[in-house]
Amino acid sequence: MWPIRELYSAGLLVYAVAALAGLVAHLRKINRAWIAPLQCYASVTAAALEFTASVGALLSGSEFNWSLSSGIPFIHYGVRLDPLSAFFNLALSLLAACVAIYSVGYLRHGAASRRPSLFCCFLNLMLLSLTLVFTASNVVFFLVAWELMVVSSYFLVITDHESEEARSGGMLYMLMSRGGTGLLYIGFLLLASVAGSMEFQAMHGSGNKLSPTLGVAAFLLLFFGFGVKAGIIPLHIWLPAAHPVAPSNVSALMSGIVIKTGIYGMMRVFFDFYGELPVWAGMLVLVVGVVSALLGVLYALMEHDLKRLLAYHSIENIGIILMGFGSALLFRSFGHPQLAALALVAGLFHTLNHGIFKCLLFLGAGSVLQGAKTRNMEEMGGLIRRMPSTAFYFLVGSIAISGLPPLNGFVSEWFTYQGLLAGFGATPTLTRMAFPIAGALLALTAALASACFVKAFGITFLALPRSENAERATEAPHSMRTGMAILAGACVLLGLGATWFVPIFAPITQQALGVQITQQLVSGNSLLLTAGSVRNGSVSPLMIAIALVALGGVPLVLWLVWGRKSPRVIGPTWDCGLPGLTASNEFTATAFSKPLRMIFAALFRPRREIQAEFDVSRYYPKAIHFESEIQPTFETHIYDPLRVRILAVAARMRRIQTGSIHAYLAYIFVTLILLLIFGVRE
Amino acid sequence: MQFWQDSQFGDRMITLMAALVLVLQITMVTQRWLITNIRAFALQSFLLACIATTIAYYNAAPHIYIAAVFMLLVKVILLPFVFERLVRRIEIRREIEPLINAPISVIIAGLLTLLAYVVAESFHRPDEPMGPASLGHNTLAVAIALFLIGFFMMVNRRKALTQVLALLSLENGIFLAAISLTYGMPMIVEVGIFFDVLVGAMVLAILVYRIRETFDSMDVSRLSRLKG
Amino acid sequence: MIEQVLLVFFHLALVLLLSPLITGFNRVLKARVQTRQGPSLVQPYRDLYKLFRKGMVIPDTASWIFTATPFVLFVTTLLASLLIPTISAHAPLSLYGGVLAVVYLLALGRFFLALGGLDTGGSFGGLGSSREMTISAIAEPALMLAVFTVAIGAGSTNLSTVAQSGLGQSWRFLAPSQMLAFAALFIVLIAETGRIPVDNPATHLELTMIHEAMILEYSGPYLALIEWAAAIKQLVLMTILVNVFFPFGLSVDWSPGPVLLSLVLFIFKLLLLSVVVAAVEVSNAKMRLFRVPELLAIAFVLSALALVSTFLFQG
Repeated sequence: MWPIRELYSAGLLVYAVAALAGLVAHLRKINRAWIAPLQCYASVTAAALEFTASVGALLSGSEFNWSLSSGIPFIHYGVRLDPLSAFFNLALSLLAACVAIYSVGYLRHGAASRRPSLFCCFLNLMLLSLTLVFTASNVVFFLVAWELMVVSSYFLVITDHESEEARSGGMLYMLMSRGGTGLLYIGFLLLASVAGSMEFQAMHGSGNKLSPTLGVAAFLLLFFGFGVKAGIIPLHIWLPAAHPVAPSNVSALMSGIVIKTGIYGMMRVFFDFYGELPVWAGMLVLVVGVVSALLGVLYALMEHDLKRLLAYHSIENIGIILMGFGSALLFRSFGHPQLAALALVAGLFHTLNHGIFKCLLFLGAGSVLQGAKTRNMEEMGGLIRRMPSTAFYFLVGSIAISGLPPLNGFVSEWFTYQGLLAGFGATPTLTRMAFPIAGALLALTAALASACFVKAFGITFLALPRSENAERATEAPHSMRTGMAILAGACVLLGLGATWFVPIFAPITQQALGVQITQQLVSGNSLLLTAGSVRNGSVSPLMIAIALVALGGVPLVLWLVWGRKSPRVIGPTWDCGLPGLTASNEFTATAFSKPLRMIFAALFRPRREIQAEFDVSRYYPKAIHFESEIQPTFETHIYDPLRVRILAVAARMRRIQTGSIHAYLAYIFVTLILLLIFGVRE
Repeated sequence: MQFWQDSQFGDRMITLMAALVLVLQITMVTQRWLITNIRAFALQSFLLACIATTIAYYNAAPHIYIAAVFMLLVKVILLPFVFERLVRRIEIRREIEPLINAPISVIIAGLLTLLAYVVAESFHRPDEPMGPASLGHNTLAVAIALFLIGFFMMVNRRKALTQVLALLSLENGIFLAAISLTYGMPMIVEVGIFFDVLVGAMVLAILVYRIRETFDSMDVSRLSRLKG
Repeated sequence: MIEQVLLVFFHLALVLLLSPLITGFNRVLKARVQTRQGPSLVQPYRDLYKLFRKGMVIPDTASWIFTATPFVLFVTTLLASLLIPTISAHAPLSLYGGVLAVVYLLALGRFFLALGGLDTGGSFGGLGSSREMTISAIAEPALMLAVFTVAIGAGSTNLSTVAQSGLGQSWRFLAPSQMLAFAALFIVLIAETGRIPVDNPATHLELTMIHEAMILEYSGPYLALIEWAAAIKQLVLMTILVNVFFPFGLSVDWSPGPVLLSLVLFIFKLLLLSVVVAAVEVSNAKMRLFRVPELLAIAFVLSALALVSTFLFQG
């Protein structure tokens, strides 16, 4: 028997100790070079402990409960490691370990290196709070952990607090998170009021006990409350603002796992608190998923800030995850639990996969940032020669996130497609059209994502360096490469070994839908992944990989037979006869995405400005200034008016703020009296 | 029995032609060249005549043949000929930008098709036996879609000529519905409708010419200037 | 087991040998229509042979991506061809990946090809990559929707199953959903194989070229691999069109008689389809790049109609 409880508690303890140690070191101003790395290794240890505990919980299928009373009614510190929690905790601890290893090297440079022990304190605190978010078993404790996560990640985001961009990004993050949490409070209270308890276990199915109106209200509150965290469109605006300004290891965790707390919350709401949901709810989730995926990738394509590009891709992938969840909800509404399980596995698998490759890509971006000293892709280029390992890992991540076989992204997208395909036959008239259309838009999303990563990888790493900094870039230190290597390995392993990994979802679908999926999703001696049955369609990433390698023999033979003697010459690239090719001849990131900017002009509303200075004749410009930007639709059309309104209301509210202490006391007094009257009347 | 005598084959053919009719209708929604629009309409009418012939053949119903012949004469040959000549005379070959642009029009057309399907489904009798008598019943949805999309086109287009075309394709929808559900209205009604359509279309064609002469434009929104 | 391996080898040989023939046939046909003499039918084979023996120039700016690209492209395209039924309704490896795997394997090849174009550092490579990725991205929804229609009709994404289910129903190809999906996929075929009106494989004009711009720096054996892969990709897409929509004559097992017959029929169907492709090519002018989305939008509408008509005409 796995000592789950001991491992789990030990993990928490190590996180806490590491965080405390960092705080003490910072306050006492102990500046030893070994403190921060030690804290990082502590996080690795803790993550390893948590990982083992989660694996144990998933494999044994046993739930582990533990609680500590606080002496206040309703409130105690409850922890539960059910399959769902264990799965998210597993994802968290895998990413946490890799990021911690990476941080050892990363913390030597950049903004975080100024107060490394404080940084590691917050990092450990965030990991601790994330673990608690995923495992808390009661509302109050969950929300406490949630707030702790928000606060600690906020401090991590503004590590570089001397830059205006970081502060405003952090502020936006904080504001949006607060708003989302507000929605969560109301939603949870509604559910708890009918369940008569704050325990998650008691709240199982409580959503259906509420009156229809309140049930709908609670669902929407919780969906959008968690949606803020997950970054669904139109609540996404904090993601591209906060992720790029944070240190890269923090962005990796934010994109990899922090936004997944929203997904975790949605899982709890959709499949735990609500035993059934009306059709429109599933449709809403599906549509939000499709819109987020498509708009996310379209905005990503227009970015040439490497980290903002990755942040927008997080929105896209959240969309893909929600497509899985949405179709699962629809299937459940129409009474097809088997298909619901298929779609659910698609969503959950993509949650893990996205965590891994997005973490990898952000870590890669971090190495590039340290190497080339810029986030602007237009100033990079040629890094594959200067940072070969980083380039390789980034390439693996790019292939995985584009959903290309045989890596993990392909597998989860394949399941998503299969879920959507099955939807056509399993649902009535008008709903059924939604599935294939969603599938077609998913295909568009995936193809655009691969275009985007051709751009991201090609412009960043290939061809000639576009700036002096890029020319002088150096490879990342050993520990950073190790962190990336593990994640890249995980991308490959989860892709090729998907058939062995998928059964891990069995306890989750069992818990959420009462369906066993191992039988229907894996067959052929664990070689095939199937969609329900072999007849519906099957795929084997492992065999595809083997076949690809084996088919490599064909060009090899051709080469040996004919091409062996053909001479190889290294020569200059064709430069149209101009003297020498320079970096300014290369295609830029902006130029690369120009065709798509034109095609989707209705969405982007691009604005461009060309100014030329002439000397003698207008045919001989001296200098040309070109400016192009796209309109941030959501910011200008939703958030700006909203901000104006809020400020206007706030200005009116200021009248209450008299500044007189007597007035404030009077407010409190009046409130007290009103409450008393209200209480008596009850 | 040869394969073409099997009513199942006939069913396939009718379904296929009905689908093409729908495709042509959506083509007309997006197409801005007047000549292409006219030809698409002619082709659509031709396919309808074929559908009518097929139904007539399997049910051995001579009066439907007559309807098909009328269709052929009036809508495939005569009207397109008149319209093409008109287009050459007024020398306007392209529709100006419609009120709603092409991609959104297509989406609207798609939604109208779905609506048509929902409406048609309520008439659907699944227990109906397969055979010559049930031929073409499944095209009711297409007929309603033709009607709705034709109506939408009339609202959406600015040129009088394309509005006439839209009206005619709308009428095509009615024809398809009539022929597929009841195997044709009473002969006299049918002839009357054809005559009506013919006269109406001719009058409109002349009117278009006059509008053009008076206003130097076919844009019907200019007609608002006529009010005192 | 040994039978399976032999089958794969047979299939490989068929695909490798047949693909240049289709390219050659297409060229001959176009030349004849334009009253030119045109190259001989076997010219593509000669080209490949010649290219393999020629020396090559590697750009000094290029990295290992440039070298890896031809191999990845060739191998992924070849594997895609093993997942589709050609002369038998049983494709040798169709169990290991259905139509989704085919689409994504081709996408993997394209991903590397686009990187290879960017790797050269010249303007042309980037230009080609950008356009190729754009066009393939906007072709994707139409492609997927058409594929969905077919898969839904057969209840499977496995192409062998799809072809077999088609064998049972003789008049299925007349169903509107099939016809419309065929039309949509045909447009996608034109776009994906870089034919007029989307791309012109015979020109090197920077305003128009897409595929050729990407591979401008490749030469010698690498170019041969890329050209060959392009021919195989064309064969793959054409085979999907002919065998999924018109599966007549596909042999159900691997006995020599039916296989021979179905080989003849298969080649006949392919040649017929390339006549249609050639007809489209000679009767159209190349489109402006920003008109291509409109063409692909038509394909999307067609495939959406195909899907709608699966229940519109349920009778």
